[in-house]
Order: sequence, then C-alpha cells, then structure tokens
Amino acid sequence: MNYDFTPLETALFADVATALKNLPADADPDSRQAVLDKDLLCRITGCLAQTSYLRLGLEPVADLNGHLTLMGAMEALACRSPSAYLAVEASTRLFGRAVAGWGDTARKARWLKPVLAGDLIGALALSETFTHSANQSLSTCGEKHGQQVTVTGAKQYVINAPVADWIAVAGMLEERFALFFIQSTTPGLFIDTPLETMGYEGTAISHIRLDGCRIDADQVICPNNGQNVPEMLKMWENQILLGAALGISGAAFETARDFAKTHKSDGKPVIAHQEMGFKLAEMFTLLQTAQLLAYRTAWTMETNPVEARELMWCAKVFCTESAEQICSQALQVMGSAGCVEGNRAQTAYRCAKYNQVTGTSTEIARVKIGDAELGYRE
Amino acid sequence: MDFAFTREQQMFKKEIIRFAKKEIVPRVQEHDRNEAFDFESFRKLGRFGILGLHFPEQYGGSGADVVTTVMAGEALGEAGVDGGLTLAYGAHSFLCADTILRHATEEQRQKYLPRLASGEWIGCMGLTEPDAGSDVASMRTTAEKKGDKYVLNGSKIFITNGPIADVAVVYAKTDPGAQHAGISAFIVEKGTKGFDAGPPLIKMGVRTSQTSELFFSNCEIPVENLLGAEGEGFNMSLQTVEWDRSALLSPFVGAARYMLNACADYAKKRRQFGRPIGKFQATKHKLANIRIFYEAAQSLAYRIAWCKDQGRPLNHLEAAVAKLFVGDWSMGPANDAMVLFGGYGYCHEYNMERIFRDSRLAPIGGGTSDIQKMIIARLI
Repeated sequence: MNYDFTPLETALFADVATALKNLPADADPDSRQAVLDKDLLCRITGCLAQTSYLRLGLEPVADLNGHLTLMGAMEALACRSPSAYLAVEASTRLFGRAVAGWGDTARKARWLKPVLAGDLIGALALSETFTHSANQSLSTCGEKHGQQVTVTGAKQYVINAPVADWIAVAGMLEERFALFFIQSTTPGLFIDTPLETMGYEGTAISHIRLDGCRIDADQVICPNNGQNVPEMLKMWENQILLGAALGISGAAFETARDFAKTHKSDGKPVIAHQEMGFKLAEMFTLLQTAQLLAYRTAWTMETNPVEARELMWCAKVFCTESAEQICSQALQVMGSAGCVEGNRAQTAYRCAKYNQVTGTSTEIARVKIGDAELGYRE
Repeated sequence: MDFAFTREQQMFKKEIIRFAKKEIVPRVQEHDRNEAFDFESFRKLGRFGILGLHFPEQYGGSGADVVTTVMAGEALGEAGVDGGLTLAYGAHSFLCADTILRHATEEQRQKYLPRLASGEWIGCMGLTEPDAGSDVASMRTTAEKKGDKYVLNGSKIFITNGPIADVAVVYAKTDPGAQHAGISAFIVEKGTKGFDAGPPLIKMGVRTSQTSELFFSNCEIPVENLLGAEGEGFNMSLQTVEWDRSALLSPFVGAARYMLNACADYAKKRRQFGRPIGKFQATKHKLANIRIFYEAAQSLAYRIAWCKDQGRPLNHLEAAVAKLFVGDWSMGPANDAMVLFGGYGYCHEYNMERIFRDSRLAPIGGGTSDIQKMIIARLI
C-alpha cells in the first residue's frame, strides 16, 4: 500500500500544468472565441506531446503507472483549462485509444502516431438520439460495396467534430460493432456548427450527419467479437470525466481559498469567519475524497479491470456530483467576484453539470451500481 | 500509489468476519435491547487476538500494522457487530492501551498490556469534562504532586467503558495556570480510593457500550503512574485522536458493507406491486448511495492508517478529513438502509434501526464535525 505519487509522477503533473503557459498572452482556450481555433488546439497538443501525457494509457511509458499516473495528469490539465482538456482527451483518449486498442500497425502509423505527436486532432462519435445512455443499439451503419463502405447515420454531441481531422464513427457493419474512420473533408459527412454549451465553451462540440459517406474498407476497424465495445467506450468517457471533475474541483477550491485568504471583511480575511472557513473545509474534504476514489479507480483499471467497472460508476457519481457542490460553494465564498466572466471558479461551475450528464449519466450509473449489488446483470 | 492489501490481510479479514458472525453477531440485538455490555463477546475479541492486535508480541499482541488494525475494525462492522461493542473495543485498545504502550514504563506495560490484550481487564480514557470537550485546555481536573503521590480532583464525562473499566488513562492539569502545556496523563486503577464511576448514561445508540462520568475526590495515585513527563498529556491525547479518526472510524465503513449486503438480500425477496422491490430504480439508487459511501470512506480510513504506518506524526489534516467525511456522510446510508426496509426497518427485530442509531455518534464522538472543519480550515 502506498498513498503517495512518485517524484517522477509529480514532476509530470507540474509539466502538464505549465504546458499551457507557453500560449500567446491573449489566447484563452476556455473562451467561446477559442471554439474553432484549431491552431490553438494544435499548439496545446504540441506542448503536451513534449511530455509523456498523450501516451499515458495508450502505450507503456517507463516508470509511470499507466491509468493511475494518467488520472493525476488529467487532473492537472483540467485544472488549468477544462475546455482544452476535454478537446485533448477526446482526440487522444477516445479517438487515439480506439486506434491503439484495435488498430493494426498500419493504422497506428496512420492515425495514432500523429495524434501522439500533437499533429492530428481526432474525434469519436458514439451517441445517437435514442442510444446515448444505455447503448442498446446503434442505428448508424455501414454497407460494403467491394473495397468501399458506405456509412449512413447521425451522431450527436461529438466533441471536436468541427475541428477534427478525422472522426471515428461508431456503428454497425454486417451485424458487428465497427468504427468507421472518416476524414473531415469526405463527401457525405456533414458537420453542424458548434453548439453553444453551458461550460466547456472553448471545446468544439457539434452534431454530425453521414449521408452515404463512402470510405475505403481499410478505414474500418471491427473490434474483437465478445468485447462489449460500447461499454468500453463509456468507460473511457467516464475516465475522462473523472479527470475533468477533479480538475475543476481543484480549480474552484484553489480560487476560493486564495480569495478567502486575501479578501477582507470586518477587518479580517474572510477565511477567518467560521462560516467561510467551514465551507472551504467541506470543499476540501469532498475534493480529497474524490481524488482518492478516482485514483483508486484508475489503479484498479490497471490491476483488476473487471472490478474497475463498478468502481468507475461509483467514482463517476461521487466525483462529478462533488465537483458541482465544490464549485457552487466556491462561488458562495467569493460572492460577486466569483461570478465575473473568466473567473476560474465560475468557469468550473459551468462545466460541472456536463460531467454528470455525459458518459454514463449519474442516474444510469446509480442503476448499474444497484444492479451489481443485486446481482442483476444486463 | 498502490492500494493493494496483502493476501494475509485479506485472509485475516475473512477470518474475522467468519468469527464475528458466528460468535458475536447472534448476541448483538439482545444486548442492544437490554443496553447491556457483552462481556463474553469482549473477551472473545481478546481471545481471537483483536484487542491487542497492534501490541508487540511480548505484551500479548500480534504486532500488526495500523492498516491491518483498521481492517479488523472494518471486518467487525462488515460482519454486523454493533457500534457499541466496536466503540468499547476502540476506547479500550486505542485510547487507553495504546497510550500505555507508547508512554508507560516497561514495568507498567508488563503489568497492564497482557491483561488488556486478553480482555481480562477493560480500559478507558478520561479526557472530556462537562465544560471541556474539544477545548481540552479548559479542563478543571487537577493532579497535585504531594511527595511520592499525585492527588487527583475533578470529574470526567462521556467516558466509554467508564462503569466497567479496570484501568483508566486520565488527563489532568498538573499546572492549572498553563493551557495545553499544563496537561498530564496518569494511569488510575479501579478501586483506587477517591476514584469512582457514575451509573451508565442512557444513550440513543451504541447502547451496548457503557458510558459514564468518572469522579476523582482526593484520589491518590503513586508518582510512577504519571505517563511520560508532566505537561506531555496534550500531545499524547492528539496521538490517540488519530486512532479515533482511523481505527475507530473503520467499523462505520464496514457497517456500510453490512447494510449493502442486508439491503440487497431484502430487496430481492421483498415483493411489492408484483415484483421484488430491487427491480425499482429508487431501490437501486439507495443501494448505489450506500455503495458509493462505502468506497469513498474506505480510501480515507486506510489513508490515515497508512500515514500512521509510515511514522508520519500527527496527520491532523488527513485525520480530520476522514473523520468529517465518515462522520457526516455515514448517516445518509444508514437512513437509506432503514427506509429501504420500510416498517421492518423501524422495528428492533431487523437491526437497521440499531445501525441508524449507532451511526448518529459518528459526527459527534472523537471531535464533532464542526471541530474537524475548524482544524481543516486552519490547515488548508
């Protein structure tokens, strides 16, 4: 047993946190203006490619502990910029991970390598109008025509779709789950304008439509039979959302604490007033508890992936709901100052709800946890 | 980071659960109803090796680390042992015996620890006073040195095991003018002239533990019974507080697992509207809430245990965070479990109402949640 990160891991977290400091002074990856700024996103992925961040969880990295190290690093990036984090993760840990997990050498060279170098922005399109929570079935499908495949369907809330070079579209091919890798310029792929979201304003999220979109057969990856691929993809999404929840919780807490130590009321720092000090104590307790649960979940993903499934649902609910509480309390501590556009606590607060409703929603996660306790399996 | 338990720890936990389910749990409800301490179960804990688990072998213990010791508490809770017995165990083994282990002379260790490890003697700790709870510096009990004796005068309140204890670790002011630095710790044996315990207090929960006042009226004890040096008492009490916030918390964590198992079994059997209530989403959500608490609380309890095993002194922040979370959040799962059982949950026959009552102590005993918030707010 050991509850400390190694010095190497701690150094990586510091590198990740500072990676965004090299951006132009006027660049704000969390602003709505950044939503279509692909150059900014590429600069960020380029900076991160100088560290081992992008490779974590996708390929072994010497002396680092896979998903556990990744969780700490994710937290560090999400704390600095939630929008940049979500975009980077959608490209790396969804699109890139699908290639890393199911692609052959040629496909890895074609798509994974540039993703890890920060040269390619990817997206993964999974959610559909009627299948976004439980993934019972996908209506998007491909039809083979010799060496080509025609893909038809529609996907919603696709992170990075408006700025992606390639989109991995989940669907069915000959009654098997398949991922169709589609270049953004391919005829028949229609990408809507970015949605105006509450939170993650700098991340480009949109619906897409595939209307007889023709691709080469070697742009299709069919994961092995027997794998519950939609479930795995949800697990990956949940992992990203855990990192996001920790990051925004940390940002909100730090901002509120620093404010409370410097802002004075009745001649003393507001943290010295018991009501404010107690709020910060509750926030800190939730933050630390969420961190430990998320780290243990990530560690279990490495050591016991089967057991990690239920733990991930628990962590998803606890960490994302705690994040909302922490962010709300942060604004309460900061008063009007917290509600000003650009304040980190306010940015975090607006992101908090998204983390609960996407991936496995907290409602569905609770049902799944209950089913597991009852021995009811889907 | 590495969250793994050793194979030996996992096997030991299973053994404790098996032992407790067979030897202790069948007696719990009756003793709770009668508000009676279960001496027989307490001595069984001693014979099984739990009371002196972390003592060195030469004092009748097993030399277990803190993580294993915390695990034992969790296992007792998971088996269904009531909060009263686990509280009595905690006050005995950690608040009393551990202080003797760390600060007494070798002769005193030889005298007390084997008896405490076996359960032959029962221990308690006297710190809290009517007007000095978390604010220990305000204590009024005094210990005046007169020749080769100390003379104790004053009273203590809310002392777990008070009415049944054979030996007490008592905190008193040797320098009434000083604040924390004036507090010293002493060993006081039952039967010492001028030392008496009041009748058991009637409590909402943890009813099988016996709680009372302690009275000291010109109580003379030999100077050898001073633990450590004069003025070191406050720091000793802080060390015991870490046990309060790790090993004493762990039965609450285990109880969550017990509730989960009991609720899942019940929800599969209990039928309403033509189907088991486990098929309703509201029931699943209750189970989920208990499970989430269990997973979250477990990490906190073991972190403070691990910190202690590393020899990191006075982990105030980690301890306060663990205590605040387990204290405040454990009542929710206990409430969910009782409600899930419906009317049966409210009746003594099913022990959910007992667990609910027991859980109410978590945010109060060992430093209230407000005190934990004060500590955290100071340190962040």
